[in-house]
Amino acid sequence: MFPTPVEKLSPGVNIGYRLILPICLFIWLLPLLAIFMTSIRPVIDINTGNVFGIPSEFNMIENYATVFAKTDAWSYMANTLIITIPTVIISVALACITGYALAIYNFRWALPLFFVFVAGNFVPFQILMLPVIDMSNRLEIFNTVPGLVMFHAAFQTGFCTLFMRNFMKALPFELIESARIEGVDEFRIFWHLVLPLVRPAIAALSVLIFTFIWNDFFWATVMLQDDAKLPITVGVRSLNGEFVQQWHLISAASLLAAVPPVIMFFLAQKHFIAGLTLGATKG
Amino acid sequence: MTEHAMRLSSKYDTETKPVAIGTAVLLVCIVFLLTISGTGVADMLGYARKIDARVPTFLLRMFFLLVALAAAFIIFTNTSTYKRKRVAYAPWMFLSVGLIFFLIYVIIPIFQSISYSLTRWNGLYDINGKWTGEWVGLENYRVLLEDPNFTTSLINNVLWLALFMLAVPIGLFIALFLNQTVAGIRFYKSLFFFPFVISQVVVGLIFSWAYNPEFGLLSEIWGWFFCEQKVNIVGNLTKVCSIDPPSILGEAKYATYAIIAAGLWPQIAYCMILYLTGLNNVSPDQIEAGRLDGAKGWKMLWHVILPQLKPATFIAVVVTVIGSLRSFDMIATMTQGGPFGSTNVLAYYMYDQAVGEGVGRYGYGSAIATVLFVIMLCFISVFLWRMYQDERTER
Repeated sequence: MFPTPVEKLSPGVNIGYRLILPICLFIWLLPLLAIFMTSIRPVIDINTGNVFGIPSEFNMIENYATVFAKTDAWSYMANTLIITIPTVIISVALACITGYALAIYNFRWALPLFFVFVAGNFVPFQILMLPVIDMSNRLEIFNTVPGLVMFHAAFQTGFCTLFMRNFMKALPFELIESARIEGVDEFRIFWHLVLPLVRPAIAALSVLIFTFIWNDFFWATVMLQDDAKLPITVGVRSLNGEFVQQWHLISAASLLAAVPPVIMFFLAQKHFIAGLTLGATKG
Repeated sequence: MTEHAMRLSSKYDTETKPVAIGTAVLLVCIVFLLTISGTGVADMLGYARKIDARVPTFLLRMFFLLVALAAAFIIFTNTSTYKRKRVAYAPWMFLSVGLIFFLIYVIIPIFQSISYSLTRWNGLYDINGKWTGEWVGLENYRVLLEDPNFTTSLINNVLWLALFMLAVPIGLFIALFLNQTVAGIRFYKSLFFFPFVISQVVVGLIFSWAYNPEFGLLSEIWGWFFCEQKVNIVGNLTKVCSIDPPSILGEAKYATYAIIAAGLWPQIAYCMILYLTGLNNVSPDQIEAGRLDGAKGWKMLWHVILPQLKPATFIAVVVTVIGSLRSFDMIATMTQGGPFGSTNVLAYYMYDQAVGEGVGRYGYGSAIATVLFVIMLCFISVFLWRMYQDERTER
């Protein structure tokens, strides 16, 4: 293991390391902690510049309740969910079949088409923006949730295919080969043999895409216009204008928007990290 | 013919029953797809206006499209053509839906955008559905060269790219720091990763507050050094500072750096996790061998560890480059390109020109997007080239 484990070094280093660890973490998460403290303070503390001290009153419930009462926080959250969940289902399902085609069959176009998915996944959003708006308009789904979901699902299919294909490529090919010799139909091989084997990849992708879409801001701003349809990221942004300088409310709302991805991350940490490394560093 | 040969040949025959059913379903779906109209659905659901029925109409269309697709697949898989050459046709069937979807929404729009960039257009059609723009050739690109905002954006993009790269070494450093086995280290690792999980909008808001000169984190820290609490005439506590805290986001000199610093926070976390995974896979034998050869500290890191971390470094560089060129959310939440356009980057400036406050300049915006795309394409090519090399060695 590198660097040398502290247990094997002098006791001074060992204890020093254990002491310094929480301090480093504190500094690293300072902005987050500070914003949490702000979110439970009364207004008066903010105006008198009490940033780090103990709040003069603990207004946690009050502040968060105000956010829910004064804004459409619930509806923003619900909107995010009805955008996120269909996107995850469609893109992961599509990636399973496209990834299967690109990983298992050795046809001439397999690699070039795979590269199309990979390259498309990395293009800047701005080059897609205007044609996508125009097309959605013509399909009469601009400024609707399905319109946004369609785009998200299509775009995320690129990343999901990249991931799925690499995952399936690592499966033992002999299994599929022998099933073919037995005369099993290609669809049955996919459904009964490959799909159960890629369950971990499906889990990893679902968690990851959920977080990506939950945190999306750009496309929601571009594709949705009615306030009633906006997701939480855009909602929180607009609160910034509504609650001018009411930092205790802005910070409470921001933290609320961050909660679901954080829960998702803690529930499925292993999958999440496996997904982020693009399968490049296996393990 | 013997019984065996009969069975063999019938294995490849077209099966008429499923084909007949499939064809019937397909035809019904096509009829429905052709007849569904927004007005019809609106009437059926009792909506007053066609526009209210957009979503149900669309969902209905998608449903019939999917059923039609399924029917088509069933027909095809029961024909003798498919049965004879399964392995040749099957990949295309698996690919078709995903590929078409991806082409329509991602690949074709790239070329459309490039063609828009050669026009002057505001995104509208006239009442007959005719395009209202005009072709202007390379005019938009000529204007770009003279646009000071474009130059600022380009310079800022380079700044983002260069400074964002700091995330890679810092991430490596933190990963090395955390690669230990003391009790509770897993917990520390996940908490260090935390900033990446949070939406960039929220990170932007957190830092807008932190940089706030009156109430923010920075003003507080500034106060420890330059300010003291005094009681004023009325008897209230006020802060008196020898030097006033700077309004970081309000000053053109600092604003971009401040946003980049905020953006680095989650990016460092991402690079850190990549390196932590990489460090997990470094072979212990080689470390042992290095130790026997007397390699220690930096030498060990440089000659033994880093070469093995190459895949992690590569991914870290790729995601950092992409992250820096995609920077949009942070700028939109923290400064909206201001003050005086000083924090614009191509991504934000394009958005601003095309659908922002000014009336849509689709052509001009597309030209900006094309420039951004070309920059990105250089990096994408390198990435694809590397992947291609890896694929070749694997075979």
